[in-house]
Amino acid sequence: MILRHFLIFFVLTLCIAAEARSQVEISAPGRQLLPLAVTRILPLAGTARPELVNDFDATLRADLDLAGLFFPIPIAAYPDDAGQIGLTSTQIDFLSWQKLGAKALIKGGYTESGGELVVEARLYDPSGRRLLNGRRYRGKVADIRRMAHAFADQVLLSLTGTEGPFNSRIACVSSRSGRKELYLLDVDGQGLERLTEHGAIILNPDFSPQGKEIIFTSYRYGKPDLFRKEIYTGREIAVSARPGINISARYRPDGGEIALTLSHEGNSEIYLVGTDGSMRRRLTDNWGIDVDPTWSPGGDRLAFVSDRLGNPHLFTLDLASGAVGQLTVAGKYNATPAWSPLGDRIAFTRLEEKKFEIYTIRPDGSDERRLTDGPGSKEHPRWSSDGRFLVFSSNQDGESALYLMRADGSGLRRVTPPGLAASQPAWSGRW
Amino acid sequence: MIISRKLGQFLLPLLATGAILAAGCAKDPAGDASMAPPAAPTPAVAAVPETAPVPAPVFQEEKVMEPAATAAPATALQSAETQLAALTRIHFDYDQYVLSTTARDTLAANATILKALPTVKVKIEGHCDERGSDQYNIALGERRAQAALNYLVSLGVNAGQLSTVSFGEEMPLDPGHGEAAWAQNRRAEFKPVK
Repeated sequence: MILRHFLIFFVLTLCIAAEARSQVEISAPGRQLLPLAVTRILPLAGTARPELVNDFDATLRADLDLAGLFFPIPIAAYPDDAGQIGLTSTQIDFLSWQKLGAKALIKGGYTESGGELVVEARLYDPSGRRLLNGRRYRGKVADIRRMAHAFADQVLLSLTGTEGPFNSRIACVSSRSGRKELYLLDVDGQGLERLTEHGAIILNPDFSPQGKEIIFTSYRYGKPDLFRKEIYTGREIAVSARPGINISARYRPDGGEIALTLSHEGNSEIYLVGTDGSMRRRLTDNWGIDVDPTWSPGGDRLAFVSDRLGNPHLFTLDLASGAVGQLTVAGKYNATPAWSPLGDRIAFTRLEEKKFEIYTIRPDGSDERRLTDGPGSKEHPRWSSDGRFLVFSSNQDGESALYLMRADGSGLRRVTPPGLAASQPAWSGRW
Repeated sequence: MIISRKLGQFLLPLLATGAILAAGCAKDPAGDASMAPPAAPTPAVAAVPETAPVPAPVFQEEKVMEPAATAAPATALQSAETQLAALTRIHFDYDQYVLSTTARDTLAANATILKALPTVKVKIEGHCDERGSDQYNIALGERRAQAALNYLVSLGVNAGQLSTVSFGEEMPLDPGHGEAAWAQNRRAEFKPVK
């Protein structure tokens, strides 16, 4: 259903963007996918580097496949123009692409010299014979995949009106070193970097919406305290080390404040603190356990987990009025809510037959849908910044690993390599 | 320290001599033997005035007890360590922090030890099994630790001796994934603070 919404939006956007000049359209809404041709980028000067082209092509195709909006035209059917270097509208043989039924065409070129890499990538509307989006990326050879991610984001921007989330980072917890430490990787599982060496237990990261900062819980000082780390400088401070627990922290979407669970007043309640940890106010007041807050996109509401009615269930809190409403009624154990950046749905997990499955529900408690099935437990769903995708951790392949899927549960794929033992992901905004 | 999930059920009667207390368990007979003489000395002592030769065993027994009671500081420390090692973990039902009868019995024995060692500080660790959300389990583990702390205080243990920390599901006792492992892992542990 979500996909259908995308597609409708997609069609509308295309029609608007293309105005009267464009021939690009989808004949009917629904499950019809846009025929897309993705040609291999060609050497503009210097020597050919087929291995770089392979990386760019594979990365771009994987991203666009995950988007779920396109039908990839078989490469064998491509016309001779796929091998022509011409990158301007006047040089491209649009007619041959039109005959093939291509509604969108990607062409590109690159120049590599002494490790320096320039990639030119273009998105065309063959029917309208015009450039929809053109990008030039300059960097190192090692940046090739991230350039492909960035262009995939641009393709989605041009064709749907919303930029993709592929040029971003996923943070996760891994026990690979023997202790749970924080790691950073790309959305395709490449570019793994270790962020912490606490030698303790680290849990539950969350990216700052602004800047490349991350908050997380660490037992570095023997108990669960909240830390904040600047990813590039490595600077790190404990922002809340109050007595008891300092856990499940989430930046407000504007980045100005943090909601988290504290127990320094005796019971685990949700509080609002500044990004420096300074107390703003207490948000819940109940005998039960209140944890795992997640912000609505506007920052005016929270969803959270509470056992105030006996079992862990999801509740919503209106920050202005303090009104609390029950969100989930089904199931006996609902946990880890994540409010979509689009605002329309809240993802969460439910314990069923000794394993967790991922669900989404509307913020008013209606239209609950189960997204996952099959072996293993699926936990910790987190949204991409555009609300199109979810990342989560699962032991379905026998070890803990991260997986991606679309917001409707389709397109499942594993992200992390074998042996990483990854869990508790967080997905950054545009990097 | 020898561990048993049934520890709490097998606590032997505590023997008090001066400030010395010992709590042992059925799985630890060797450790108990030196601390808990089986025969009560009082009747034998009463018989002494009439005939001298008989009470020899009683005399021997007193020799065993005396060094402990008048122990040098180093020995007292060692003795405290032995007693703290007898602090026994308690277990909980799934998603619960209510103390079972067994847990309360265990805590009563732990309280006796702690009251006898008023200068010793102990950290109570709350733990959960792997089911459930990590964050919820940290809060639940804290409640388990607090429930144990509150009960110990209600039994007369000085609250200043006690602190709590929750590890949620992060430090399982048994790394397995079945009911038996889960039952083992839902627990509160008592760790002396050095």
